[in-house]
This record gives sequence, structure tokens and C-alpha cells, in this order.
Amino acid sequence: MRPFELTAPETVDAALASPGTFLAGGTTLVDLMKLDVLTPERVLDINTLPLQGIDTTDGLRIGALERMSDVAAHPGTYPVISRALLLSASQQLRNMASIGGNLMQRTRCGYFRDVSVPCNRREPGSGCPALTGANRMHAVLGTSESCVATHASDLAVALVALDARVRLVGSDGERTVALADFYRMPADTPEVETDLRQGELISEVLVPRLDWASRSTYVKVRDRQSYEFALCSAAVALDVQDSRIVDARVAAGGVATVPWRLPSVEQALRGAPPTQETFEAAAALATEGARPLSGNGFKAPLLRRTIIRALREVTEEDRA
Amino acid sequence: MTARLDSPLKVTGRARYGSDHNPPGMVFGYVVLSTVAHGEVTAMDVTAVRDAPGVLAVYTPFESLELHTPHNPIMGATWVPLQDTDVAYRGQPIGFVVAETFEQARDAASLVEVSYRERTPLTSLEDGLAAAEDAPPSMDGSPHTVTVLASGVESIEDALAASPVVVEATYTTAPQNHAAMEPHSAVAVWESGTLTVYSGNQGSDLQAASLAQALAEPLSAVHAVNPFVGGAFGGKGATSVPAFLAAAAARDLGRPVKAALTREQVFTATGTRAATVQRLALGAEKDGTLVALRHDSWSSTPMSRAFIEQTSHSTSREWYTTPNMVISQKMVPLNIPPTTFMRAPGEAPGSFALESAIDELAVELGMDPIELRRRNSSLAPPGKDLQWSSKHLDECFGIGAERFGWSQRSEGGRVDGDWLVGLGTATAMFPALRFPASVRVTLNADDTAEVATSGADPGTGLLSVLSLIGADSLDIAPERVTPRLGDSALPSGGMSGGSTATASAGSAIMVAAPEVIDELLTLAAAPGAPFEGAEVSYADGRVLATDGRSLTFGEVLRAVDRSSIAAVGSSAPGEEMSKHSFSSFGAQFCEVRVHRWTREVRVSRMLGVFDAGRIINEQPARSQLMGGMIWGVSAALHEGMEIEADGRLANGDFASYLIPVNADIPDVDVQFVQYPDTLHNPVGARGVGEIGIVGVAAAIANAVFNATGTRVRNIPIAIEDLLDE
Repeated sequence: MRPFELTAPETVDAALASPGTFLAGGTTLVDLMKLDVLTPERVLDINTLPLQGIDTTDGLRIGALERMSDVAAHPGTYPVISRALLLSASQQLRNMASIGGNLMQRTRCGYFRDVSVPCNRREPGSGCPALTGANRMHAVLGTSESCVATHASDLAVALVALDARVRLVGSDGERTVALADFYRMPADTPEVETDLRQGELISEVLVPRLDWASRSTYVKVRDRQSYEFALCSAAVALDVQDSRIVDARVAAGGVATVPWRLPSVEQALRGAPPTQETFEAAAALATEGARPLSGNGFKAPLLRRTIIRALREVTEEDRA
Repeated sequence: MTARLDSPLKVTGRARYGSDHNPPGMVFGYVVLSTVAHGEVTAMDVTAVRDAPGVLAVYTPFESLELHTPHNPIMGATWVPLQDTDVAYRGQPIGFVVAETFEQARDAASLVEVSYRERTPLTSLEDGLAAAEDAPPSMDGSPHTVTVLASGVESIEDALAASPVVVEATYTTAPQNHAAMEPHSAVAVWESGTLTVYSGNQGSDLQAASLAQALAEPLSAVHAVNPFVGGAFGGKGATSVPAFLAAAAARDLGRPVKAALTREQVFTATGTRAATVQRLALGAEKDGTLVALRHDSWSSTPMSRAFIEQTSHSTSREWYTTPNMVISQKMVPLNIPPTTFMRAPGEAPGSFALESAIDELAVELGMDPIELRRRNSSLAPPGKDLQWSSKHLDECFGIGAERFGWSQRSEGGRVDGDWLVGLGTATAMFPALRFPASVRVTLNADDTAEVATSGADPGTGLLSVLSLIGADSLDIAPERVTPRLGDSALPSGGMSGGSTATASAGSAIMVAAPEVIDELLTLAAAPGAPFEGAEVSYADGRVLATDGRSLTFGEVLRAVDRSSIAAVGSSAPGEEMSKHSFSSFGAQFCEVRVHRWTREVRVSRMLGVFDAGRIINEQPARSQLMGGMIWGVSAALHEGMEIEADGRLANGDFASYLIPVNADIPDVDVQFVQYPDTLHNPVGARGVGEIGIVGVAAAIANAVFNATGTRVRNIPIAIEDLLDE
């Protein structure tokens, strides 16, 4: 870790006025500073800014500085969000990590985190050892020749499934962006990860009201039962009426460079009965365009199976 | 049953480990590691390092600290850093920066500019198999290949060809790191020509001897202290790089030096468990009688060829009765971090292969795997006539099968919702060994006693064991016995390794205690003493005369004006070795649940039933075995170092080197059958440090097969091993 200047602005305006790297829970930033992956000269502790609050009067509004554990425990949170949060990290980390920070967390790619090796995301143009190296954990969707790193957030997968938006504040004012548009696939510029502009801050997350998302879940498949990132995950919400799927939301994590919404799977589910046959046919569409690497070919079948499992779990009573 | 004496100190943070010592004037060393896997360091530019704030010294192969290679009978030679410019693996210590603070040392170390003449590394065991070499003789002196054939049988191939039922398969196991909670570290202090080193290790007198040799100092000038050790598991048997460097730099600089590896450095700059490939062929009669066994093993080894994971010698050599057997061991030198002893070295990966193969044979025969094992249980190792001193393996399986509900097991497992449930079992064995050890037993005038030996308690509970055996031997309550360990100034206790410490130190206590009691009785009956001229005996901490008078030993010592008396007892393996074979035994049971769709393997129940002789202290013994069994889950499902082609360790931290979390571990049931093995040693205990891990990975793989019908022949077992599309 390199020496840095730490200040704690007391208002959003003050935070936006002073250049620096924002520190909330610190669970990503401090980690990466210890590894010399990030070496900010100025760090702005934003924890005292008024960006708290969970409001469920119309959909869900979550202040960016709310902690993961508080949002997970809030009675107005949709099951898919709550489960995605509870399956993330550890209780200690969830107590510290903020919602805004969770959405801004960096990839867990081992090459990104090791400054002794090249990484296009860290040092544009330096190369990507993951293309031929240890890439079992890496993405099969949304990849490019320059980067195959997965997006690490579980919460973002659930939020993308629910059409969530983020409110961004900057010195020029504020704007809201669909979370699905907020994240950028790597293409030729893997260093550009989000739509966030210099000096902008996420102030809140807005989830539109979706009553039938009470029937939703998040399935996370990983190498141990807790405290590990997803090999593959699926966020699913289903609206089932009279033995028909009226509407569906499906997104995947652990397999793509950004939280991966699956409209073709949703389309295949709409209007069909909630049966195993339907689920398998829909899930088969999930891996269209998948590009496996040397060590992660299993992720395509695993994604299909994870989606089937999630769909089975939210329809257990219908099928019984 | 006694709670561990060191638990309150450890859970309240009062136990002082090696690096908790902070003598006045102390400075900090940071180890620099190589960033290539094979080649030569041609230059190290340390100009910027010397100019960095707080830097006191920079040591490299070009401006080195003089260190000599130490040897000891158990560990062999120990590599010492910075003595030449060869680089044999990535992450090899090549420099040492000492500064006023840890942060200054670390920052300065990052400024070292190293130039290499690189050579192409070989890091893959699979790629190296073709160039495998015969292994040196095993620990017991056996050659790399051992052949036992019944008379008239020409070769193992003939025996296999003549077997009505044959199974053949190849198994692989991943390299692992001990990953003990306490990283390797040391604090070295020189005072008036004497070195004191505070450092966690598995034997304080061995550490003192190795440092004395390395520094070319007399043994009397080196004092090693390690009252608490934060886990070792074989990885702290050899003296560590930080201990050598801190000691030599402290001598050079005239200041106390602290050096500790970071967690990431521990993965390469210490020792690891080798990767293995094992090919097994079993031939049996239709009734399950084993008639031929072939077990060929390959172990990765560093370029120094310092340590081989002996998988066939440590399992198939002894476990089953068979008239025909060939075992072999080869090694594949690679540009990988050093290999060394790690909990059940040989037995842990060896049992995965052998006990999986036995299960495959049971499937082939359509026979219950417990029945197959019972049918081939050995009275003595094949080709040897020394019978097992005390073997109750069938009883372990009997109790285990009953407790675990083995009779409910069905071929093809059972289904619970979307979970496929299977049961598996395996045999566990670990040799009963002991090392030479000396212990001093002291009786004090305040009616307390002390039991002292250098050794180490690397978290095993040895401290409490000393107190219990001491109390037993002195016929007093354990609360009155103070155990002392982890100080090379004490009588030589040897090594806490090989599951030997209880048998070794315990036997020495049983020699020392009668001697000190004899001395007490002599003193008590001496002229002018309370029992002058009387016939005296000892019981219950008291000296008794035939006339009914009695005094506590403290009262006697006070009456003769002695503050204490002491005796040192020694023990070592002896003629018992020529009379019997010695081993501990166990039966491992596991239940797994595999998700029908996403294929995660969850261990849902575990039971181990062990025949380890007399159990001295049931609570820590149970914990030891439980810890071993949990490590077996880790080996089966989580753990494995992933070394890339260029020698880089892809998962050298706790974020990516997976070990189980609480959620991965179910309730673990541990049972004992207790038959004291006094043919092996007077204590009757055979050690429980390692056998807990043995067989667990096979039991899990066998349960996975029962649940899914898929036989996985590699560990760790991953989700992709169980995906069929």
C-alpha cells in the first residue's frame, strides 16, 4: 500500500468538488490498495454523506451507502435481491460493504489482482494472460480478445433482472441510468467498466415495483458453500397464473463480463406451462454465443442447469 | 478428559507466539522472492533499496549472509537461502531487506531490480511423467520397487492375468500447502554471544541444532523458544527461511530482527505437499479374495529432489493381504516450490487411490465394500512375518456400520428431492512410530511437579498430554503438574511429527517418574530424614512407611531442606520393532449429497472410528481426528495449488486457495475402540495426529459414485467432473 491523503467530505457537493477515489465500506478498495492494484493519491471517505435509506413505498429505493446486510434483512426487499446479498461474501463483509460499492466492485480475475503480470483492464494494451492461463473462473459470455474477466457482483445480477436503475450525481447535476446499460462489456477498452463519468457518484438504486417478483430466487453455484464467488448464478422471477408463465425475468452471473440478462430465455418462458420441458427448452437458449476458454467449457452446461434449478425452485409448489 | 491447558491463553490472545516477541531495538526483515521459475540471477540492483527510508541492510546472493546447510536425522538437509544464484522455482527466496519498520522493509523490497538468465521451466507433473526418475529408498530403507510374488508366479502381470476379476485405474491428487494459521516467522536476538530465536516449529531442540549448524556456532550458543505454535502439520519440521535470515542478520547488524512471511509468500517459500499420479491394478477371485495388487506411483518433487510423496509404499505395501504385490515409486523433478512432509505424507493421497480402487473392485464384484475389506484384512504386511501388534479394524467397521446406518445403503444411492444421496467408506491406516525423547520430571517442595521437554506443541494438545501422563506416573492430580514445552534448553524432546509425540514423550515420562520417586524415597529414608532407616513406599503423592506414617513429597523435601529433585528419563524405539508391525487403524464413513442439476457435492454426514491404542485425553484426541477428517474433506473437494506453465502460482492466497468454511462441514462423529498397545510403548498410545485425514477423500469419492454413478479419480473433485453434458 502506498501513502495517500484521506479526507472525509461532509456533503455530496463537497465530495463531488474534490477529486479523489471514493471510499465507502472499503472491502474492495482497501483490498486492491494493499495489492498495489489501485494506488490513489487522494481517498475521500464518503460514509457520512446522506445517502442512506430504504424506501419501499413504490418499488424499492436503496441509498447507495446502505450496507449489504441491512438491505438483505429489510422486509420490503424482493427475495431475489435478498438472496443474492445473503449468498455474497461473509457476514462481516456484508456488514461493511455498501450497495454502491457492491455495484462498483472490481473483477476477481487473479491476473487483474497481481501487478506482476500483464492485464489489459489494469494496464491497457499490456495483454491478457487469462486467455490461455488459469481461466476456470472466467467468463464465456460478453468476452473479447482483450478481456475475459467476470463481473463479481451477485446483487447486480438480481438488480439487472428487475430492471433496476442507478441514480448518478455529478457536479453537472444528476441522471439515472438502467443498470443493464451502466456496465460496459470489455470489447477493446476493458479499462472502461461502467458508464460512470469522472467525479460522478452513485447516490441510489431504484428498483421498479414488480409485485410478482415475490416469486423469485437467486441460485449461486460455487466451489464451497459460503464465502466464495460464483462459478455460475441465476436470478429468476416468474409470474405464473393458471398454470401458465405470464412473465419472466432471468439473468446470470459468474459467466459473463457484465451482469447478463437473458431476454431470449424470458421470451421462451412467456406463455408456456411451468414444466421441466419448458425450463429445459428455455435454458438451452441461455448459452447462445458462449465462447468457452481452455478451462471453463463446463460453464455453458452449468449455466443451463443453474437456470433450470432456479426455475424449478420458484415453481416447486406449482409442479407438486 | 481434560480441557486443553493452553486454550484460555489462546482464545484470549494471551499466548505469545514467536512473532509476538518485540525486544527493544528490534528491526524488521522482508524476504524477496524470485519472479521466474527457472534460471539464474545475474544481477540485483539494490541502489534504490539502500536509499529508501529506514533501510539498514540488503542481503542478496551477491552480498550474502553466510549460511551452511544443516542436516538432521529426521528432516535430512535443510536448504538455506541466498547462498547461490540458481533459481529453481518461482517464489524462491533470493533477497532479504532489513529496515527500521516492517512497512519500510516491505516498500524497500519492492524496489529491488532483479536480472535473470531465464531457462524454460518444467512445472507440469503430467508433462514430466516421461522423464520420471526412480525414487530414492523410502523412509524405512525399502527400494523404489518392492516385489512380493507367491512361489511359482513369475510376474505381477501373470498374477493379474490369472485373476478372475481385475480393476485397473489411474488416480491423481493435487499439490497442497499446509496453510497453517501462523505464517512462518522468527524473532532473533543476540546477547553476549548467545542467540535466542522465537519461532514456531515442530521441535525446539531440532531448530536450535539446525540454526547452530547454519550459523557455524556451537550448539550452546543457540536457544530456540516456541511455547506456542500456530499450526505446523509437517510444514514447520524444517527450520524456516525467516528463522535463518533473521538469525544471521541479527548477528550481522547487532540488532534484534523480526522476519515473517506474508500469507502469499508462505505458499512458495516454505514446503508443500507433492502432486501425485497413481496407477492401480487389483486382481481378485470371484469371492473377493485379493490375489494380485500393483500400485505404481509418481510424485512431483522440486529440482533438489529433497522430498517424495511415497504413496504406494505407505499404503499398498501394508494394508491388505495379497500373495502377489508390486509397488513402485518414481519422482518427477519440476520447477515447483519445495515439497515436504504434510499431514499423513504418502498415506493421505495414497489412500485416495487405493481405497477408491478397492471400492471399484467391490462394485465389479457386486460385493459390499466393507465385506471386501474384511475379507482381505491383513494379519501382517504382505511378505513380512511380523504381525500387527494390535489390530481391531473389523471392530471399527462394525461399530461404524451400525452407527452410520450402513445397512440402509443401496446400490445407486437414494434420491431426496433434487439431491442425490450416497454413502461411502474407506480404511484408514497410519504407522505407529516414535522418536527418541527425553523428559525431565521435577518434584517441588510446594507439592507441585513439573514435566519438561524441549519439543513443541504445534496445536496438538501435547502440553495437556504431558500433564496427564505426568500426573498418572506420579499418582497425583493433573492440576499439580506444570508441563513445559518448546524451549531448547529443556531435555531433548525431539519432533512433534509423524504422530509420535505422545508415545515418545509419554514413554520418557514413564522412565523419569519412577526414577525421581526412587530418589525421593532414598532421601526420605536417609539419615536425618523423616523416615530414617524405615522401609518406605510411594503412593498418591505421599511417602508411606510400613508403620502407617506418611508425608507428602513436598513435606519430605521441606524436611530435608530441598526445594526440588528431578530426574531425566529417555526413551527410543527398541527391540519391539523386531517383534511386531505397528499401525493405527480406522474406518471412515461419509454421506454426500450431489445436486441433480448443478452437481455441487456436499458432505452431509461423517463418521470416523479409530483404533489408535490408548487415548490419553479424549477431548483433544477427538479434536485432532476431527481436524484430520475435515482436512480430508478439503483435500477431496476444495484444496489444490494451481501452478501455471511459467511456474506462477495461480491461487496463492486465501481468496483463491480454497479450504472449507463452516458451512461445508457437517457434524463430525469420532469414535474410539480403545485397546492400549503396550507392545509398542509403555504408554499404550499410538498417536492420532495424522490418521484422521487418511481415507476421507476416498470415502467421499466412493460416496459420490454411490450417489451419481460417476467415478471421479482426481482430487479435488470439482463440479465439472460430475457434469455429463
